[in-house]
Amino acid sequence: MKKNSEVQALRQLGGLTSTRVAELLAQNGPNVLTPPKETPEIIKFLKEMVGGFSSLLWAGAVLCFIAYLIEFSKDKSASMDNVYLGVVLIVVVILTGIFAYYQEAKSTNIIASFTKMIPRKAFVIRDGEKREIPAEQLVVGDIVEIKGGDQIPADIRILASHGCKVDNSSLTGESEPQSRTCHITHENPLETKNISFYSTTCLEGTATGMVINTGDRTIIGRIALLASSVGHEKTPIAIEIEHFVHIVAGVAVSIGIMFFIIAICMKYRVLDAIIFLIGIILANVPEGLVAAVTVSLSLTAKRMAKKNCLVKNLEAVETLGSTSIICSDKTGTLTQNRMTVAHLWFDNQVYQADTSEDQKDQIFDQSSATWASLSKIVTLCNRAEFAPSQESVPIMKKVVMGDASEAALLKFSEVIMGDVIERRKRNRKVAEIPFNSFNKFQLSIHETEDPDDKRFLLVMKGAPERIMEKCSTIMMHGQEQPLDESTAAAFQTAYMELGSLGERVLGFCHLYLPEDEFPDTYSFDVESMNFPTSDLCFVGLISLIDPPRSTVPDAVMKCRSAGIKVIMVTGDHPITAKAIARSVGIISANSETVEEIAKRLKIPVEQVNKREAKAAVVSGMELKEMSPEELDELLTYHTEIVFARTSPQQKLIIVEGCQRQDAVVAVTGDGVNDSPALKKADIGIAMGCVGSDAAKNAADMVLLDDNFSSIVTGIEEGRLIFDNLKKIIAFTLTKNIAELIPFLIFIIAGVPLPIGTMAILFIDLGTDVIPSIALAYEKAESDIMSRKPRHKKKDRLANHQLALYSYLQIGILQSVGGFFAYFTVYAVQGFKPDRLLYLRPLWENDSLNDLEDSYGQEWTKYQRKYLECTGYTAYFVAVMVQQIADVIIRKTRINSIFRQGLFRNKYIWVGIASQIIIAVILSCGFGSIPILNFTTLRVQYWFAAVPYAIVIWLYDELRKLLIRLYPGSWWDKTMYY
Amino acid sequence: MTKDEKKPFEQTLGEWKRFIYNPGSGEILGRTAESWGLILLFYLAFYGFLAALFSFTMWVMLQTLNDETPKYRDQISSPGLTIVPKPHGALEFSLNVSKPSSYENHITSITNFLRAYESQRQEFHIHCRNGTIFEQDDVSPKKACRFPLETLETCSGLKDESYGYYEGNPCIFVKMNRIIGLRPQGEPRIACAVKEGKDVKLVTFPQNGNLDLMYYPYYGKKLHVGYLQPLVAVQVMFLTHKQEVTIECKVEGSPNLRNEDDRDKFLGRVAFKISLTQ
Repeated sequence: MKKNSEVQALRQLGGLTSTRVAELLAQNGPNVLTPPKETPEIIKFLKEMVGGFSSLLWAGAVLCFIAYLIEFSKDKSASMDNVYLGVVLIVVVILTGIFAYYQEAKSTNIIASFTKMIPRKAFVIRDGEKREIPAEQLVVGDIVEIKGGDQIPADIRILASHGCKVDNSSLTGESEPQSRTCHITHENPLETKNISFYSTTCLEGTATGMVINTGDRTIIGRIALLASSVGHEKTPIAIEIEHFVHIVAGVAVSIGIMFFIIAICMKYRVLDAIIFLIGIILANVPEGLVAAVTVSLSLTAKRMAKKNCLVKNLEAVETLGSTSIICSDKTGTLTQNRMTVAHLWFDNQVYQADTSEDQKDQIFDQSSATWASLSKIVTLCNRAEFAPSQESVPIMKKVVMGDASEAALLKFSEVIMGDVIERRKRNRKVAEIPFNSFNKFQLSIHETEDPDDKRFLLVMKGAPERIMEKCSTIMMHGQEQPLDESTAAAFQTAYMELGSLGERVLGFCHLYLPEDEFPDTYSFDVESMNFPTSDLCFVGLISLIDPPRSTVPDAVMKCRSAGIKVIMVTGDHPITAKAIARSVGIISANSETVEEIAKRLKIPVEQVNKREAKAAVVSGMELKEMSPEELDELLTYHTEIVFARTSPQQKLIIVEGCQRQDAVVAVTGDGVNDSPALKKADIGIAMGCVGSDAAKNAADMVLLDDNFSSIVTGIEEGRLIFDNLKKIIAFTLTKNIAELIPFLIFIIAGVPLPIGTMAILFIDLGTDVIPSIALAYEKAESDIMSRKPRHKKKDRLANHQLALYSYLQIGILQSVGGFFAYFTVYAVQGFKPDRLLYLRPLWENDSLNDLEDSYGQEWTKYQRKYLECTGYTAYFVAVMVQQIADVIIRKTRINSIFRQGLFRNKYIWVGIASQIIIAVILSCGFGSIPILNFTTLRVQYWFAAVPYAIVIWLYDELRKLLIRLYPGSWWDKTMYY
Repeated sequence: MTKDEKKPFEQTLGEWKRFIYNPGSGEILGRTAESWGLILLFYLAFYGFLAALFSFTMWVMLQTLNDETPKYRDQISSPGLTIVPKPHGALEFSLNVSKPSSYENHITSITNFLRAYESQRQEFHIHCRNGTIFEQDDVSPKKACRFPLETLETCSGLKDESYGYYEGNPCIFVKMNRIIGLRPQGEPRIACAVKEGKDVKLVTFPQNGNLDLMYYPYYGKKLHVGYLQPLVAVQVMFLTHKQEVTIECKVEGSPNLRNEDDRDKFLGRVAFKISLTQ
């Protein structure tokens, strides 16, 4: 008892002095975990500035300045057009960079609020007095006091304990409360009972302890450091977007250089060749895309937050959509995380109780007299109570003081019989033996509420076999009957049956004490047990389970049809795990495990062909023995897997195993020990209610309601965003060709330039921005949750079908439509198409002021320039009109537009309106600003491209129709993007 | 997911080879011959359709056009002025009287330009009534008015085939751009003036630089065969040799012919520079 005297000594000394505390605080730092290192804001900002397309635009801007310098060196009065363009490009880069940075920062803030820890207090003895201080100020050597409900403020060694129990589940995964005493029970600090750890919680009792580790040196701190050192994988969407940028940049640069060389070979001036290069780069870079993608990602993040999934980084949304395996916790995620009465057995019959979230429909037979007795025992032999002042809270949501089983029974009886507390008052308790692990029963003795009946009632509940031992009779339909072999056998069957469902079974019995032996003045003594505890009357069994959430089976079904494998990983017993897995459909009704096949065929387990068994239940012990190859085999050949009795550390092994199968793995977790697995997973999902800060830190997503179905909603959203991103990209890429072809025709056929660089910028950053964002609001298509998850390496965001369809089909169609409008406005002014061919050298000749048109009229240079701008405007408007058709066709990839509904996504119409309004403003309002090169276009030429727009729409409907009619055909493979 | 490790070069080469031709599946560039055939066939059909669509819409559009007059003339509401001969590059003549090579090309281009005005080419042209617009909207074929070269007097090339260049008094011909249906109001004339330089005298032919209204309106290349636009010649008489002058000619005397546009330096005006050396 050296330690106790030490406590006394320390108490007398009064703990540390303030001066010593200050010294230690200066030496060891405050008691906080160092947050993981953050990328400096400026680096993040610069990354947005140079990443992706920005570098191409920078290159374009530099080329503009070079072009100007070349011109300037030849002629001091060179036009400033190239400088303006260069400046505009830089402004575009900076603006889109700021925009992307702002979006990213905004969404980071959503989560930042979550990682912020709630300030914690600790009771500490210093300078001889007990005071409350913020937990950060604790130092090694401080004496702290903890009580039930507190979070342990640092790693402490227990000096004195009064029934102190802690919940170490977040650290070690043990879900049972652990008692804490001042005795060393193990050499390993993690195992010994006299140390409790930072961030775990004290469930009951009180304790006094000395701080032995603070901050990062605590066990948690070390794990948190470990977690931040596990590298984080790039999210699939990040890879996809990178891939896409590479493709587009490659196309831009190679076409640009190719035509640069062609232009040089065709004896164009170097300056002209540079200007073509800028034009081609500009035409190829979808400037508005970055903004559209960020906006649509953050839109989805917001939408998901509404559905209780909080997304930490934007790209994680999409990752969730490509998930092919979910490793889910059981407790709290699949289940309701509270014990609930599932079955009752009395009168030799099993009754089922309602385990839904509100337990409204209790339909079992309540008329039997046995039930009356059983309900009395359930009510009386129970120490749990509702916490005060929650009269208005529904029963199921009330906070209960007491352990999980007792709380379940309390609520059960409250629901069925009403005011339990009142009933307990009427049956005053005179003696009680609480449950302990030695006795394995709980007993109490009550006066009865019947004033004429002076007998005491002894009620008892506990482990069924222990209760049965103490009974000699059994109640049947209210009548006591001697316990014979057949009733004992019936009891055994019922007990086994309920046990095999993974339920916790409790037995109930009672005895009316004879009045003559136990008069109402009798004094009961629980120490000496001066009352009978045998020959009691057995009344019934009640089994409890943490029932599955009612939405989970549907969600699991949805996962299955969406080709997603759901693996349960739990610390629970295999039988319980399997029962829950069956009830939620993780193990489907008709699939068997190896053991079950063996049992059915009556052959040894070893002889069963493992491939025949779809389901598998693997315990942590078995998992420990497995080689990685065996684990791979397990994961490949079994579609329905439950890992039971696993430690959080084994989660990491399971995740890695899944990732070896090329799967995108989503993992749920709440404990600190889960954080390496959460980090390792493609998408880590932390629980918002019960999750530890470290888990939330390591995760990509936080589930606010801890509900598995929210993950499935998230997956749907993720797939939707992937589809919508595809649509956005397809929409944006299409007009790139329509912007590029003019330059090619211009170089090859020598026609006046059909569209200027400014007009290109106005399409990319003007008319097209809102429609492409509007596509992010598009609703899911019918096949969203019935197709396989995408393969992260094979099914790309921008696949070749998308590129070919956008570039070589719709893009070319748009170009043709644009050229039609272009030729039309030239023809009506006097330049027929044949006159335009190879006219370029004369057309652009500054000193030629009497260029003859097809009708013999003569044009000055400026008049031609004005006509050229009219041509730009016509081409611009034609592209805009056809982009309206494009945005409509991009609403769906496989369904008909009419099935999707033209008006369900009203933002599309906002987008279309914006396209028209921007074009009208540019053409009418800014027609007079020379640098913009727009002119006012006659009303009828706004409609020049309408036939082409209609053809685009009809053609796409035909494409979708053929895909729907002939799935798997050549057409499907070639045209479905 | 493991980090991409650097593949050895041979492997990359092998992959590329397999991509170009895969003997196992018979794939060339990632597709079988059959697949390539289908793709080519498809695009052939698709682009064939596009070509047909384009041709059709163009045909329809061209049907709406008139062969004789363009649908709109709003973008050339007012004509530009140009000069003949036209020096290469900017409008700067650099003449050396003693070096014929410095102006021979100008003489050739003037001769070529005036060939259309030779009298034998005007046999079927009619004499029109001076000073009035020659309306012939309902007449077909449209008649072209005669423009006798004699009007240009010393610059006509009838007497002096060098148009004054040998003597160092070069003739510059100013014309107003043809615009279909343009009917000048008032009494349009080309007025030239020296903007920079001195000791220079300008002589304009015809006198006052008149543009006779009878040459208007123009009915277009197709209807108005043989149309000759009126010319004004300016002879620059250098009083002293070796000097530089800038001359600006403007259309004047007509309210509907603009000559002061900020952006278009050739709308109703033209400026040129002559530097003469001995």
